[in-house]
Amino acid sequence: MAGLSRRYRRLLLAYPRTYRRSRGEELLGALLDAALPGRDRPTAREAANLIRHGLRARLGRPASRSVVAWAVLSAVISGLFIAALATRAAWETARPMPRAGEARAMLAEILPGQEFAGIEDAPAMFVISGQPLSWDMADDLLLGDGGEYSLAGVGGSVVGTPAHPPQDSVELAQHNLRAHGWTVYPTMTRNVYDCAGPPCDPATIPKSTTILARRGDTKFWMEVNSGYTWDTTSMGAGFSRATPLAVYPFGLTGGILGAVVAFLMFGWASRRTEGRHPARVEVKVLLGVTLLFWWAPTLFAIPWMVRHHLDEPHPSWHPMWEWLGQPTFSLLFLIGCGSALLGLAAAATEPGPDREPLNTVASA
Amino acid sequence: MKDMREPTFLVLTALADRPRHGYGIVQEVRVLSGGRVRLLTGTLYTALDRLTAEGLVEHDREEVVDGRLRRYYRLTAEGLASLTAETARLRQLTTAAEARLRSVRLRSV
Repeated sequence: MAGLSRRYRRLLLAYPRTYRRSRGEELLGALLDAALPGRDRPTAREAANLIRHGLRARLGRPASRSVVAWAVLSAVISGLFIAALATRAAWETARPMPRAGEARAMLAEILPGQEFAGIEDAPAMFVISGQPLSWDMADDLLLGDGGEYSLAGVGGSVVGTPAHPPQDSVELAQHNLRAHGWTVYPTMTRNVYDCAGPPCDPATIPKSTTILARRGDTKFWMEVNSGYTWDTTSMGAGFSRATPLAVYPFGLTGGILGAVVAFLMFGWASRRTEGRHPARVEVKVLLGVTLLFWWAPTLFAIPWMVRHHLDEPHPSWHPMWEWLGQPTFSLLFLIGCGSALLGLAAAATEPGPDREPLNTVASA
Repeated sequence: MKDMREPTFLVLTALADRPRHGYGIVQEVRVLSGGRVRLLTGTLYTALDRLTAEGLVEHDREEVVDGRLRRYYRLTAEGLASLTAETARLRQLTTAAEARLRSVRLRSV
């Protein structure tokens, strides 16, 4: 029975400390009363039940049916953002971007005889408007140009008439990519513009053809815009890094930790502000503002990103933060962060002397 | 008034005649439901917290038996009124359903 009691006590850790202090012995007594003679460990059903209801008790407000939904919304969005931050940290494990010389050598393998101009070393793994992110760029990042923050690339373009006709360049590049161990993704061909109105012959509209390929942690892209004639064709190609493997464990771990911490903080603030806490209304409003400013960009971005990924082949997925609308909507995210911190600070203020107890039963 | 779920109805019913402690409520609910409803301890205490916060149940007394703390709960006047109202609602539904079933049986004879 001592072993069973010890195991029950361990499961009761799912309940908040104040609850355990006032109700722990009573709960333990009821659990031991209900246990069949000779049993020395809780059943899986009992354990799951205690964890589930212990977590519910952490939210306080026993009569509320909506507090669980608010807690889940808070935990999920916090977990997603922390996961995105963790994946950004994991990108630091990626190999440096290919240098200009390496890029030139690879391009010479893929399209022999074709000169590319403007190939330079990338200034950083991620850039905003071609520059590494710095405090000077904070305005751009926050005030509308956050979408410019993206993975850098090393590449160049053809100046003048390409060495081969457009279709030959595409076929030659595909052949050489495969010959040198690249995985070539389905080619995308689009009209450069739509029909301007009748009469319209789609065959006369210039086409843009994109080739995507991947070899190890290197991605390749090439775009051929075929003009009306060979000499009006433009062409560009370049390389960037694929998502490093560390992103996945970092993201998963960060997401779980973020969600757990957010749930616990939500529960702490919820328990503290139930009853007659002077800031109970302010805390609710700030929670609403936080969730609005965090969820709205996410709910906008996710369907957009899903469509984008379904429409085009991707050698590797876009970074996780882009799926959450970041940093395009980073200003909204920051406002949400400020609101969350204010809410927690308001919850931390001392309740008045006439504050109702945390739990009516607990204090009885 | 919010709809009362079956476990809540059974917990209130278990406390209708006299105060009971946690495990006593679990046993009584099992008897009342003919062995069909077996409340787990975590579920019971979440329900008791809610019913107490809603003012339907209150703490009665506590005692220690075999070194185990037992806290007793009893119905409040509001809890008794709520249970009475729910019982009347269920009786009305049961009566209506029985009348329909009786007519069906008569037709099939």
